[in-house]
Amino acid sequence: MKNHLHIVVNRVWKTAAMAVLLMNGTARAQVYGTGGHTVTMQVSVITSVRVTVGSVNLNISSANVVAGQNQMSVTDQSTSLLWGTNSSLRKVSVSTSLAAPKFTLKLLALNPTVGNAAPQVTLSTSAQDLLLNIGRSSGSCTLLYTGIALASQGTGNDVHVITFTVAAQ
Amino acid sequence: MRSFAIFVILCSAGSLTQLRAQISVQGGNPLMSVTTGTAGAQPVSVTNAATSLRWRKQNVITKITVSTSCPGQRFTLTVLATNLTYGVAAPQVTLFNGMPATNFVLNIPTGNPVHKTCTLQYTASATFAQGNSAELGNDVHAITYTLVAQ
Repeated sequence: MKNHLHIVVNRVWKTAAMAVLLMNGTARAQVYGTGGHTVTMQVSVITSVRVTVGSVNLNISSANVVAGQNQMSVTDQSTSLLWGTNSSLRKVSVSTSLAAPKFTLKLLALNPTVGNAAPQVTLSTSAQDLLLNIGRSSGSCTLLYTGIALASQGTGNDVHVITFTVAAQ
Repeated sequence: MRSFAIFVILCSAGSLTQLRAQISVQGGNPLMSVTTGTAGAQPVSVTNAATSLRWRKQNVITKITVSTSCPGQRFTLTVLATNLTYGVAAPQVTLFNGMPATNFVLNIPTGNPVHKTCTLQYTASATFAQGNSAELGNDVHAITYTLVAQ
């Protein structure tokens, strides 16, 4: 009886050992090893804004005169504004360097690809809203400038350096 | 029965040690920062090739797969095997949280040298619409490379 038990235990031991060896062999045939590391990705606050081409010239001449009217105007939409911002709740504001212009210069953002155009603004040295709700976007709009002069204001030149700023809304 | 249990433990421990030794990443844990962007376009992507993968030859043709765990992932990270002298690099892999193990290096031959390497070329990119880390936090990828029979 004791001998019989010994034989049974011995068979169980051998069978189990073979099973472990086979399983181990199978694992080696599939996966030989793993390795790894951690990669951290950081994105800074990025804001970029630019105008497509350089200077805009608005020239009011006799061609813009309407007989009997004091006000003359001319428009230009040859330039575009482009921006990119990855911050939420952002707008674009605009201001001019010219503190005391002789004539009136107005600006409107046309067809913004993202956000909402503010109503037409008369440019001044104080920043005014041009585009709203542009947060976390890359987009563009056409810049529609309108120069207005009164016949009674006579002749002259106004030179504006215009600044566009992406700011918190 | 006690000796059988010891035998199983030794087998398992041996296997684990062997698994760890067969493939490893050299060069630490990179930090990649996207810091600039272009108006009307997108932030400029950055590339890091400061780390490498080193693995032992096997008796069968093998391949290496890659996967990552990055809960709450916001941005885009890809990896490509470069400077590979043995085997064939798979196309660039886009790493995303919970992805299945994806082919990274294929057809690794059985011959010498014992240790083979490749450079890990990571590219980090983001769109303006994806936001920034100050508001959303960093992406932290726990990336795993696995050497398997092909």
